[in-house]
Amino acid sequence: MEQVFDLLITVFLVVGGIFGLVGSFGLIKLDDPMSRLHAPTKATTLGVGGVLIASMVHAYAHEGHLSWHELLITLFLFLTAPITANFIAKAHIHRHETPDTLPPAGEDKTWATHDVPPEEPGSGRG
Amino acid sequence: MSLFLIAALPFLGAVFPALLIRAGRNAAAASTGAVTLLALIGLVLHAPAVLRGETVSARLDWLPDLGLNANFHLDGLGLLFAGLILGIGLLIIAYARFYLSREDPMGQFYSYLLLFQGAMVGIVLSDNILLLLVFWELTSLSSFLLIGYWKHLPEGRQGARMALAVTGSGGLAMIGGMLILGHIVGSYDLSVILQNKDLIQASPLYAPALILILIGAFTKSAQFPFHFWLPHAMAAPTPVSAYLHSATMVKAGLFLMARMWPVLSGTELWFYLVATTGLVTMVLGAVIALFKDDLKALLAFSTVSHLGLITMLLGFGTKAAAVAAVFHIVNHATFKAALFMNAGIVDHAAHTRDIKQLGGLRHLMPLTFTLAGVAALSMAGIPPFNGFLSKEMMLEEATHAIWAGTPWLVPALAVFGALFSVAYSLRYIAHVFLGPRRHDYPTLPHDPGAGLWLPPAVLVVLVVLIGLFPNVIATPIVTAAANAVTGADVYFHPALWHGLTPALYMSVAAVLGGALLLGGHRAALGIWNNLPRPEAKAIFDAIVGAATGTSRRFSDRLHNGSLARYSAIFLVFTLAIAYYAFASGTLGPETRAPLPVTAMPVLGWICLVGSTLSVVAFHRNRLLALVLIGVTGLIVSMTFNYLSAPDLALTQISVEVVTIILLLLALNFMPQQTPRESSPGRRSRDVAISVVAGLGVGGLIYALMTRDFVLPSISEYHLANSYKGGGGNNVVNVILVDFRGFDTFGEIIVLGIAAIIIFAITEAVLGSRVRARLLNRKPWSPLAGDSHPLMMVVATRVMMPIALMVAAYIFFRGHNMPGGGFIAGLIAAIAVVMQYMASGFSWATDRQRLPYHGIIGTGVLVAAVTGMGAWFNGLPFLTSAFGYVHPPYLEKFELATAALFDLGVFLAVLGAVLLALQSLARYAWQPGIASEHPMDINPERDDATQTIEGH
Repeated sequence: MEQVFDLLITVFLVVGGIFGLVGSFGLIKLDDPMSRLHAPTKATTLGVGGVLIASMVHAYAHEGHLSWHELLITLFLFLTAPITANFIAKAHIHRHETPDTLPPAGEDKTWATHDVPPEEPGSGRG
Repeated sequence: MSLFLIAALPFLGAVFPALLIRAGRNAAAASTGAVTLLALIGLVLHAPAVLRGETVSARLDWLPDLGLNANFHLDGLGLLFAGLILGIGLLIIAYARFYLSREDPMGQFYSYLLLFQGAMVGIVLSDNILLLLVFWELTSLSSFLLIGYWKHLPEGRQGARMALAVTGSGGLAMIGGMLILGHIVGSYDLSVILQNKDLIQASPLYAPALILILIGAFTKSAQFPFHFWLPHAMAAPTPVSAYLHSATMVKAGLFLMARMWPVLSGTELWFYLVATTGLVTMVLGAVIALFKDDLKALLAFSTVSHLGLITMLLGFGTKAAAVAAVFHIVNHATFKAALFMNAGIVDHAAHTRDIKQLGGLRHLMPLTFTLAGVAALSMAGIPPFNGFLSKEMMLEEATHAIWAGTPWLVPALAVFGALFSVAYSLRYIAHVFLGPRRHDYPTLPHDPGAGLWLPPAVLVVLVVLIGLFPNVIATPIVTAAANAVTGADVYFHPALWHGLTPALYMSVAAVLGGALLLGGHRAALGIWNNLPRPEAKAIFDAIVGAATGTSRRFSDRLHNGSLARYSAIFLVFTLAIAYYAFASGTLGPETRAPLPVTAMPVLGWICLVGSTLSVVAFHRNRLLALVLIGVTGLIVSMTFNYLSAPDLALTQISVEVVTIILLLLALNFMPQQTPRESSPGRRSRDVAISVVAGLGVGGLIYALMTRDFVLPSISEYHLANSYKGGGGNNVVNVILVDFRGFDTFGEIIVLGIAAIIIFAITEAVLGSRVRARLLNRKPWSPLAGDSHPLMMVVATRVMMPIALMVAAYIFFRGHNMPGGGFIAGLIAAIAVVMQYMASGFSWATDRQRLPYHGIIGTGVLVAAVTGMGAWFNGLPFLTSAFGYVHPPYLEKFELATAALFDLGVFLAVLGAVLLALQSLARYAWQPGIASEHPMDINPERDDATQTIEGH
């Protein structure tokens, strides 16, 4: 039985490691910022996720208790990763794209990041 | 009444006028008078015992290790002076009520007056020279406030500054002298010092001690060449002049010389220093006084002259001269205070103090004339007034003084001075009140109300009574005071008629000569105006200017606002000291083996070195530098964790987060790139300094970590006593809140002050022209839309309760596990800061009600009250107590007062961080910045609007 657990741990560690490697490699390899954005998000979710599952299995198999820390870590990752990606994308759109270079924004007039209220004299930003 | 209370009453009472001024000026004056009267009554209750020759004392150990004890004693001299201070003070308070105009802030005036009075009473009652020094400095400070009371007058401000500079620097010299004196005797108690005349005078340190103490006394008592501040202090309101320059401030120097007389006098050095200074001052003051046209200036220089007279008498070193000095102190106080008040009345009535514009006032102000006449005749030394008695005694003593082998010099100069004294006294009467009535007074003068003439009248009555019946009124107190000065029984029996003594001839000569001199005043003035005279104020200003210029050149070079320069100076200086320590000390052998190097630390090390090198390489791009600094901070906190310092790691990581956020906000106002400003030479010099400093620190740490300490450190004690004494397993936390709780208490106060200063600077900047520039600021690049994105807002809302719960958890576990109030405060601050980041500062701050100042204050108060709680158990401040409770259905639970203290730390940290953040956010505020909604795009809202539109 123990061997099964060890095997599971190993598999998850290897999966995590591969995704981490792929994510890092993608970050270097891909040249377009919007594509590059995909690489590290895979690494954080699947790569770290694999390691966390391995850790939980290890705690159950070898220390004899269920460990909840990993679930919390997963929760926080799920909370923060999309926001980080969202902000990086927004920064990119803001600094390097114009409405013309982007796909049409659907029903809305334009993409939110480019949706700046017209400048009024004496006022700053909205 | 206890002497403590007598000395403390004026200080305590200083609160009343400041508060009661709201109830009116009469209430303020009455409360001030009541306080003074109470102290005076307390003093008089001791009078019978003191006059019998007893000494009343009250002793309290204050800082016995330093020799500084709150010991007070009351002997004849103290009684005389305290009586003058409080008695004349009472008259001045009444006089000032009617003198000050409606525009003058009277509550402030009386508060200052009481502070000054308390300091003076403290001086004369102190039985400890260190305590005396404290009060001495207090008189300098409070007289500064009084002299500069009319802040709108430049003369008032300059006069106050000059008085403070002169008397304050004299006070510094005196501190040195007193410390030497205490060192010689081995005690700072006056009663002990006064017993050790031979010891002091035999000491080789006698001369420096004497000279330093005399500098203090001479500056305070306006003796030549420090006399110049006193006339300039006349810019003060007249009640202040009357009080400071007749009975109190300037007499403090005389008091000190009289107090120290038994141990310091009697030597050649004393005679030549004190008597000569006194003689020169007396003559010089009298001569200048005659040629002053301002009534108060005349009186000021006359005061200088009379102070010189008393100093000279003390300088003679004989018992009879000391008695005469004490007697003249009383007489001078009575007639000079009366004259000052009189000059104030004339000023009030005629709206001028210029003698040239006055004359003939006796027709218009008969009452004032009578009072002025009697007081001025007494000052001139005309019988039967009290001034005659003491001046006669002075002349008598002068005939006995032999200066450098010449017996005629002192008497001749004394007569010369007395002659001028008669002349200016008579001038005060003749040129102001006598003569024909004029028609060009600025306003038509008339006698004042009782409030103004009654106080000087009381003194004038005393002048007459002491003159007529000296033995009934003055003898007991003067004898008691003179006994205290000389330390022996003196015989004092003044009389108006002594027979045909040399003193009488000298007196007659002085009066006649003075009258003649006044007759030829115009001619004398012509000669005087043609004499070359150094202008004391110009010299003083030149000296002060030179000193300020020098120190400014010095400090401007060191302190020019460039952070790079500060750190360069600091580093070079530290390196020099460290090199000296390294070169002069010895380095023990390495006693600790290095730990094995594993992969993780090496990886961390590479990251650390990489990030720091990158900061150096990319520091001109500010945002990038900030990100790299963040990386460094994270690795440092991981290092702390690796080296078994979880508390430090937690602190570091939360501080890191808060700092980076604050710096990001600050970046908002800075250019994105740091321009290249310094020359290559300077840059390479800076690089050299920092490389050497970095290597030095690294080497030092390496040396420390590879060796045991030379002496056992305190850690063992902390480890052993943390649980036993502090009730906690987390030693770091127990050190913070218990072992070194007082340090922490100070630190949270400092932190709070720092935050409030940031707030204050913000207030000041936003009140200036910078505000307009901030409001019209244009961003570096166009702003992006959707600055409060939905996802971020929702996530931070989810995170807030979790973060607060983590803060609470960290706070509660702090005593036994890594954590504590400081870290918890930072985490709670981060929870709030996240809301600011997501929805904007304005939106978030509208939704929180507690002012951050209040949070800081509450924190400090909670900590203080917790600390004070120990007092109720009879333990010292901040002694912690702990116990365990076992509530049903719950685990065993520790209750410690240290946790309450930690709550104070928590609140202070939280408030300080948020106040700093708020201040920075206020710079960024621009119209229209506040968003109405928590997020810019909200599908729910859009649906709602569409529905409404659809209707």
